[in-house]
Amino acid sequence: MATNASPNRIGVFFSHANTGRLGAVDLQQVMEFARQLPGVVATEEMGAGAPPDPKDVAADIHRLELTSLVIAGDMPGAQKPAFTRAMVMAGGDPDEVRLASFGEAGAASTDPDSIAQAAVACAVHGVPFGLAVTPARVPVHPDTLVIGAGVAGIETALRIAQAGHKVHLVERSATIGGHMAMFDKTFPTLDCAACILTPKMVAVGQHDNIDILNFSEVQAVGGSPGEYKVRVLRRARRVDPVACVACHACRDVCPVRVPSEFDEGIVDRKAIYMAFPQAIPNSYVVDGEQCLWVQSEGKKCGACVKKCPKDAIHLDEESHSVELTVGNIVVATGYDAFDASLIERYGYGVLPNVLSALEFERLTNASGPTGGRIVTRSTQRNRRTKEEEWVFDTDAPAPRSVAIIHCVGSRDQNHNPYCSRVCCMYSLKFAHLVKEKLPDATCYQFYIDMRAFGKGYEEFFERIKDEGVFVVRGRSARVEARPDGMVIRGEDIVHDRIMEFPVDMVLLAAGLEPARGAHRLASVLGIRPDDDGWFTELNYNTDPTGTNRGAIHVAGVCQGPKDIPDTVAQASAVAARVLGSVISGSVRIDRESVSSAEAAANAARLAGTSPREEPWPSEPTHT
Amino acid sequence: MAIRANPHLIDELEKYGAQDVVKCYHCGNCTATCPFSGEVFVFPRKSMRYLQLGLDVRLQGNLEPWLCYYCGECSEECPRGAEPGETMMSMRRWLTARYDFTGLSGLFYRSAKAELLAIVLVALLTGLGLTLFGLSQGSIDVYDGPGAFLPASSIHIFDWVMAGVLVLLLGINCVRMWWYTMGSDKEVRIPPLEYLKQLFLVPWHFLTQRRYSQCDRKSPWAIHLVLMLSYLTMLVLIMFFLHRVQHGPAIDWRAHAFGYAAAAGLVVTTIYALQGRLRKTRPHYQHSHETDWIFLALLLMVSLTGIAQHILHRGGWETAANVLYVVHMMGVVPMLVLEVPFSKWSHMAYRPLGMYFSTLREKAVLAAEDPEKSRPAAAAQTA
Repeated sequence: MATNASPNRIGVFFSHANTGRLGAVDLQQVMEFARQLPGVVATEEMGAGAPPDPKDVAADIHRLELTSLVIAGDMPGAQKPAFTRAMVMAGGDPDEVRLASFGEAGAASTDPDSIAQAAVACAVHGVPFGLAVTPARVPVHPDTLVIGAGVAGIETALRIAQAGHKVHLVERSATIGGHMAMFDKTFPTLDCAACILTPKMVAVGQHDNIDILNFSEVQAVGGSPGEYKVRVLRRARRVDPVACVACHACRDVCPVRVPSEFDEGIVDRKAIYMAFPQAIPNSYVVDGEQCLWVQSEGKKCGACVKKCPKDAIHLDEESHSVELTVGNIVVATGYDAFDASLIERYGYGVLPNVLSALEFERLTNASGPTGGRIVTRSTQRNRRTKEEEWVFDTDAPAPRSVAIIHCVGSRDQNHNPYCSRVCCMYSLKFAHLVKEKLPDATCYQFYIDMRAFGKGYEEFFERIKDEGVFVVRGRSARVEARPDGMVIRGEDIVHDRIMEFPVDMVLLAAGLEPARGAHRLASVLGIRPDDDGWFTELNYNTDPTGTNRGAIHVAGVCQGPKDIPDTVAQASAVAARVLGSVISGSVRIDRESVSSAEAAANAARLAGTSPREEPWPSEPTHT
Repeated sequence: MAIRANPHLIDELEKYGAQDVVKCYHCGNCTATCPFSGEVFVFPRKSMRYLQLGLDVRLQGNLEPWLCYYCGECSEECPRGAEPGETMMSMRRWLTARYDFTGLSGLFYRSAKAELLAIVLVALLTGLGLTLFGLSQGSIDVYDGPGAFLPASSIHIFDWVMAGVLVLLLGINCVRMWWYTMGSDKEVRIPPLEYLKQLFLVPWHFLTQRRYSQCDRKSPWAIHLVLMLSYLTMLVLIMFFLHRVQHGPAIDWRAHAFGYAAAAGLVVTTIYALQGRLRKTRPHYQHSHETDWIFLALLLMVSLTGIAQHILHRGGWETAANVLYVVHMMGVVPMLVLEVPFSKWSHMAYRPLGMYFSTLREKAVLAAEDPEKSRPAAAAQTA
């Protein structure tokens, strides 16, 4: 508009480190672009060092008769005071120093040159980046796909469904609920996890707007934002969920025993099983890979079919694919625990009483295999297979001393370099549960740094110490079997000594890793996993739930380790995003399709207009 | 007692080969992994802490580096890649420099150029001196017997004089080591009788390297022992039986059987170590300081020239044998003069002394402690 005729004389100063996550910006190209913008009379590359001497800049301002300055780069804010000062020294308007920050504009997650150019164009025109570079919006299909039915997926699905919109909830395993369903208590409030989650699960199961696709996986995604075509593989369940009344008759006759995934393998389940009594959908499924009838192609067994009073079991059911059309996709695939057997010195998988965190969750869970009794694991000889088995016997002796080792697989260059964020707190929770159930047992925490960062967490830590738990600063290094029992060895770095003493049970606070298959899913969806495998958000600070693909969102741990409150918060935020899009009837296209020319044109168009005068892409309608 | 921190300590240690000390976040993994870390000597993490804090006074009085044999398990399992094993190695170099009263050791460790220059200088002086001496009283065409270029009797005197000087230098450094690690510590008092009672530990550790054999990995100890025993055998042959070794052309098997075995041991272990360092086959071969290369190169050169001059002599090429003998000595003299008191060889004294002192210290500390030891965790509660 007025920009071409404006008397503005703008100098663009580039201060870009060209390192780190914004390293891919081609600065020469961006400078070339900047020179063609209206009003730009000079561009200068300054490097990323200390801010320039204001006197030099003031001399430039005088010489070129500049009226406005733009500082462009990955962190231009650090340079601003020097330029403001220069502007004052030169007698100009100190407010006419603008920033074009590549990082804030999301240059890392999209076509970096294009975004950097757009950022410069916006600063030159004096238009907020978000206003000019809002990607175009396209009509949206009202249905939503949620991938993963842990607490994040459940929360998102419920909120969208309760607002009156359709959700397809895809879950890989037999039941929804995810890891939270396995937990006994949540930190720091020590609420019963099941009491929080199972009502939500039931609500999901009963909601008309939610279509649960358990035993299913997303195979392919086509189409574009607002109108995705999704192919979902529905693996054969072999039990009709409507007819099944969960009478357990089939389970009792099934001859096949395999370790239960839900109980982390500390007890067995049958080939026809329900993960746990409150599973949703509340019906049995058949593990086709273990079922004798399926594996022998109908020649063997079939006992469950004969026993079922409702004729609900169809062992010949085949897997099939379904096609869904959705407007938005929410990824909430969560995590898998780090495999502690990779660190041999802890003896996980070799010593029966070295347990992973999830195993202990099941052991201490009131609805778990021992009814919540914390007992030591004993070895037994299986009469049939003649192999040694590890079993939790409810009558076995309780451990007299329990050691909890932090940071297993986390903050470790040899495994995962990142902090898994939840382990410190759940380890403290474990210590509390041990002390609560076994007041005479001693409990040790071997930690490196206690990361009690959330509301009430530090207080929880203090409380645990008051309960008589020994906290030892120093990560234990090894657990060894001696003839008279297990011995743990570690350094107490505060008291500068080696600690070596017998323990009956060792709990390994194994860290979190992206769920198995997350990488494949990312390539199916076209979103980016980071170096550690977590899905990359669009902008860490300003758009932590968006992705580079317009209508695909991330919620929960799949975006990065987080605890339940943070997961629920993020899941709710995603629901708000999705609902905003569904209610407005439109969704923004992928950031990748933003062109810098378009952004520059937008900025030029918007220059001089107040943001409030620009109408919303579509007025929300209230019903 | 107030301790002055030296903020440049890590930078200083880096010249001695330390790497990535700042990465350490004190999880204690290395200490718990180390089989030698016990009640009194808890390492290597604490030394990493001294380094980060710049406590050079504490580090100077620290015996722990001498208790570490660099099996490398701590470095392998370090979650931060902070290389505690290599840090202990560089601290041994740093301590060697600290114990040395001449300051030459520190110069050689910090500057490979200085060390090479010194080696060349000593080698040239040796070559020139031996040549002039040989020509003045014999013929270069005669290896042994009357009119020999370098007769065993003269070399023998030369050897003993050199040995005397080196032992004196090293001895002074050992006394300094005692003062830093034991003598200056007012808190731990060890009665002189105890020093006498445990004195057997020095030859015991020197000859068997018993402690090295207690590492989880045995082969480095075996290699090291073969190298050390070969070297020792050669030393004994040269210091006491030089006339037998040098007389020819008949082979005196009573001496030569030992000589051949030792030569073979030296060559094999040196080549093994060289190729290990080149290919980085083991944790303790991952990082090589310049002095490691110089040490191995000199050792190999000395062994090979020694063998060659021996073959030439027995083969009747006496002139060539004499020339190579001078070359051989041009390797031997700098190796011994520079390495024994000032560089890597000095650990033949510091290590057994380290074991000896640490045993004394351990006994004294444990005896001073309350015999009724409280449960290990009792004090940890409020950590």
